[in-house]
Amino acid sequence: MDQVGGSPKISLVNVTKVYHSKDKGDVQALKDLSLDIRDGEFVVIVGASGCGKTTLLNLVAGFDRVTSGQVLLDGQEVTGIEPECGMIFQQYALFPWKTVQENVEFGLKMKRWSRSRRRERAGRFIDMVGLTGFEKAYPHHLSGGMKQRVSIARSLATDPKVMLLDEPFAALDAMTRQVLQEQLVRIYEKHKKTIVFITHSIDEALLLSSRIMVMTARPGRIAQEIINDLPHPRNADVQLSERYMELKRTIWNSVQAEVLKSMEVETR
Amino acid sequence: MPSKIGKGGALLISLASVFLFVAGWEIVCRMGVIEPLFMPAPSRILWRAQKMIEAGTLLQHTLASARRVMVGFMVSSLVAIPVGILIGSSRFLKAIFDPFITLLRPLPSMSWIPLSLLWLGISETQKYSIVFMGSFAPSLLYIIEATKNIDPLLIRAARNLGASQVDVMREVILPGALPQIIAGLKVMLGIAWTCIISAELVAAREGLGFMIMNGKEYFQTDTVMLGMVLISLTVMIIDLVFRRFERKLLPWTR
Repeated sequence: MDQVGGSPKISLVNVTKVYHSKDKGDVQALKDLSLDIRDGEFVVIVGASGCGKTTLLNLVAGFDRVTSGQVLLDGQEVTGIEPECGMIFQQYALFPWKTVQENVEFGLKMKRWSRSRRRERAGRFIDMVGLTGFEKAYPHHLSGGMKQRVSIARSLATDPKVMLLDEPFAALDAMTRQVLQEQLVRIYEKHKKTIVFITHSIDEALLLSSRIMVMTARPGRIAQEIINDLPHPRNADVQLSERYMELKRTIWNSVQAEVLKSMEVETR
Repeated sequence: MPSKIGKGGALLISLASVFLFVAGWEIVCRMGVIEPLFMPAPSRILWRAQKMIEAGTLLQHTLASARRVMVGFMVSSLVAIPVGILIGSSRFLKAIFDPFITLLRPLPSMSWIPLSLLWLGISETQKYSIVFMGSFAPSLLYIIEATKNIDPLLIRAARNLGASQVDVMREVILPGALPQIIAGLKVMLGIAWTCIISAELVAAREGLGFMIMNGKEYFQTDTVMLGMVLISLTVMIIDLVFRRFERKLLPWTR
């Protein structure tokens, strides 16, 4: 898998994760999952709901421990919450009692930066996501799309090497989603982050990724890996091209098989 | 039936209702239906108020009670907020303190009066301690409960952005629980008033509780009722001030 050489940025080695829950007994979320992600890749993980995609991100971010196997970041095992991995949540997770400015400054405040330095840097990132003029607004005054932009600015302000996005645009309307997708691609190209992005939308995966992973139904493993060689920018022409349709068909077949399997598990 | 009464209309009706009640009370008393010692007329209570204002004792009693409530309540809140947040965010600490809180909570503040008199005498400290003992355990429970309703996602997000455990308490749990803490403290402020009045009824040299008890000793029913009215008014005023304060503290809830 390692085409460029050198060690991968993120490496999961035979990762198994079992949750213990009172009413359902032990649930195996991930089983023997192995995956390497190189520096600067934009990896999109697609899979049926409940296949352990979020579990995978939580392990990389250090919110959760593996049951067996290893999660490595830059060759080092992840043992605690990993500040190098900025997480973007579907529900934004903005602090409702902080203004846009204070939210974006949060990570810098935790690094004990001075007020003026914080203000200056936060201002740059608020500007980058197009929210200049909303610095003093509280999150509940913002639309879903604006909230997610604040959340992205908040994460980027701390300059994480890796960005983990957990279905970040799933709760947004189609137009807002498209604007934010384009914005994310620009950020990716400009800041050269390694991105792991989770979605259940195949179109979103094709628009954004450099590589697509399809996950199996629970317990989650990688079912298929697809190098996304679509040309940039991925505009309407690309989306109507033969290659796009072909990739979409391939992924759909693979996802569909897994969705059917997971539905069998649920009805059993 | 759907109501067609607006805000102003409701206020007008309320005012008229109070006026009619007081007027009726006055008339019944003037007609001599009720013995004044048993139930003095409103005008008689007003007369007593005027007398006591002139003598300066009314303000003295009111301020004495208000000061005791404020000091006891402030100390209790200032201790309960950090301790409650600590206990609320740590299962270990909760296990340590839970039995004591559970034992202390059912004790009415009145039951502390004999011990506090024994330990502290009829002093101001004794009054503060009664307010403290009456409001601390329930305040603590309110605050611990408030910390439970914090969205765990926000704690995750904060940790992900580099916050330590202490940062999380200060930056996430405290502000996140603050609306509920303030709601709880408002209830506690009312309870603090009942604490101080009972303490003053038992043993005091000034204060509204003392004024009521003293009035009773001298068969001044008007003084007794004036004291009761003043308790009501003072609690109402403090509640209004508290509400102002609340809006200042919670700008994001507007």
